[in-house]
Amino acid sequence: MNKTLSQEKRRVLRADHLSLAPYTVWAVLFILVPLVFVAYYAFTDDNFAFTLENIQRFFVSTSTVFQEDGSSQEVRTYLLIFWRSLKLAIISTLVCLVLAYPLAYIMARAKPRTQKIFLTIIMIPMWMNFLIRTYAWMTILQDTGIFNNFLTLLHLPNIHIIGTEAAVVIGMVYDYIPYMILPLYSIMAKMDERLIEAARDLGCSSFGVLRRVIWPLSLPGVISGITMVLIPSVSTFYISQKLGDGKIMLIGDVIEGQYVANNLHFAAAISFVLMVLLLVCMAVMRKLAGRRVEGGL
Amino acid sequence: MKKIIELKNITKSFDGVPVLQNVNLDIYDNEFITLLGPSGCGKTTMLRLIGGFETPDTGEIIFLGNKINDVPPYKRNVNTVFQKYALFPHLNVFENVAFPLREKKLPKAEIEAKVTEMLSLVALKGFENRAVTRLSGGQQQRVAIARALVAHPQVLLLDEPLGALDLKLRKDMQVELKKIQKQTGITFVFVTHDQEEALSMSDTVVVMSEGKIQQIGTPIDIYNEPQNAFVADFIGESNILDGTMLEDYKVSFSGQTFQCLDKDFGKNVPVDVVVRPEDVDIVPVEQGQLTGLVTSVTFMGVHYEIIVDVGGFKWMIQTTDFVDVDERIGIQLEPDAIHIMKKSEYSDLYGDYSSFSNELDELSEAPEEDET
Repeated sequence: MNKTLSQEKRRVLRADHLSLAPYTVWAVLFILVPLVFVAYYAFTDDNFAFTLENIQRFFVSTSTVFQEDGSSQEVRTYLLIFWRSLKLAIISTLVCLVLAYPLAYIMARAKPRTQKIFLTIIMIPMWMNFLIRTYAWMTILQDTGIFNNFLTLLHLPNIHIIGTEAAVVIGMVYDYIPYMILPLYSIMAKMDERLIEAARDLGCSSFGVLRRVIWPLSLPGVISGITMVLIPSVSTFYISQKLGDGKIMLIGDVIEGQYVANNLHFAAAISFVLMVLLLVCMAVMRKLAGRRVEGGL
Repeated sequence: MKKIIELKNITKSFDGVPVLQNVNLDIYDNEFITLLGPSGCGKTTMLRLIGGFETPDTGEIIFLGNKINDVPPYKRNVNTVFQKYALFPHLNVFENVAFPLREKKLPKAEIEAKVTEMLSLVALKGFENRAVTRLSGGQQQRVAIARALVAHPQVLLLDEPLGALDLKLRKDMQVELKKIQKQTGITFVFVTHDQEEALSMSDTVVVMSEGKIQQIGTPIDIYNEPQNAFVADFIGESNILDGTMLEDYKVSFSGQTFQCLDKDFGKNVPVDVVVRPEDVDIVPVEQGQLTGLVTSVTFMGVHYEIIVDVGGFKWMIQTTDFVDVDERIGIQLEPDAIHIMKKSEYSDLYGDYSSFSNELDELSEAPEEDET
């Protein structure tokens, strides 16, 4: 009796596996195999012999930077660029979060019709090519661009934005903010209105409701929003070239450059290190957020 | 007795649809008061007005002598047990109950003592670290009650709190809620559409329909002396007949004249006559004031529920004597079995049991969804 039951179960399991087969094949072909290739290239030299040289090069290789006052400084090239990428990505992600959080909340509490309109407005720019969007920002932010013309019209002093880190951040925020809004919106739309009423009933002011109920319950959305913005921002390359006016090199630009220069092994090594560092970051964040949710305070 | 909440001439509509029309109600200290009515009668809206989640279009809400129309919920000394409990899923049992105390920034030891006290009141000691999502419906219900009571509100609002529980658990919780109310001395305002629940738990029952209060009274008053056909029909089973009050203590209906205990209606005034099914005596045909043909018999456990056709009007009678379908029986009514009501807008809506079915009745009593 028991035996037949377990056989039955096994058959069901096998059927499950079978229906998963196309996805498994897809995942192996397009996720696992490329990852293995990246790792393989990262740890080999041009003759495909094992080496740590490429990884090492990322951490130790140095170059000289000339400051504006003429003094020069020895820096670790790739670590410096990586640090800059991470800094700009974190700033962009935070800006996205601060802008998107209230918007997502307002959207989730709006009438269904208004929600649809908001969603469409957010999605429309995503239908346009990302290169074109970046070019558009160039024409806006240039020294003689739309933004500065507008300032001139108001008799205000012009601002030099293009080629600064601020311009890169603006570009990244613009491009990636939908990926922050959507997960936040979807979790907030699912949130039970009664929980908010219960919190108000139990003595919470509006800020208390936000801090003690809405924020902790929206954390899964915050985390997936941060993940979806931070990862592409760290490895972005095109935005920095255009809006950074070639002056602000990010790690994505380096990888692209090495790849174009047919330096596949070093490009793979940088990608690999970047991936590992990001995975560690995300794991730490998830753990911290998870602990907060359980602890409840 | 001290008035704790007064509602004065309250009107409220949503999108132009009136939900409450000129409602007046006094709630007294230490009272278990139930707002009873069918789905959409405005009872939940009334509760939300008291809780501070809605503001009335016109009228005043008075709390211990102060007008509180615009006071936000968190500043009212009133707590709510929500329909589906609304427990915080990210907090465990202890933290859910401690929620209002943490907001008040009480010392840790005091919070611990109060939460422990509340959890033992609702018989959930030892559940402190459980996730609320892993509790049964009855346990969640208890957490919600403990959370609403822990800050010692002066009034506890309960919005159909037992609607999602199964029958057995419901009965237990009814007893328990009543016990908690006695122990704590807090005024309970309870909303339900279940008349049995209302009668068995309350000190005062407020029967509502279509945004208006139909009757306020003790459960016994409401049952024995319904003010109009709606109340008579909604509370328990009733045979409601067209009659004429001939003079004091004398009423005629179904072509016969009966003795009754009611007076002061005037002479030859049309009235509604209510006879409860359990107050009808079945007698041999020759002794009956009325005679009728039994059209259906349903065994209900404690009694039989029979439908009798008396000259075209179908009576419901509850009896422990067995009669058979198609039997002719006589009906005898004692004077105290007859209750006279003035004619009202509901007079013609409720009447006999020609289209009666138990099944339909159950359908309409299914737990209702959120109403606003």
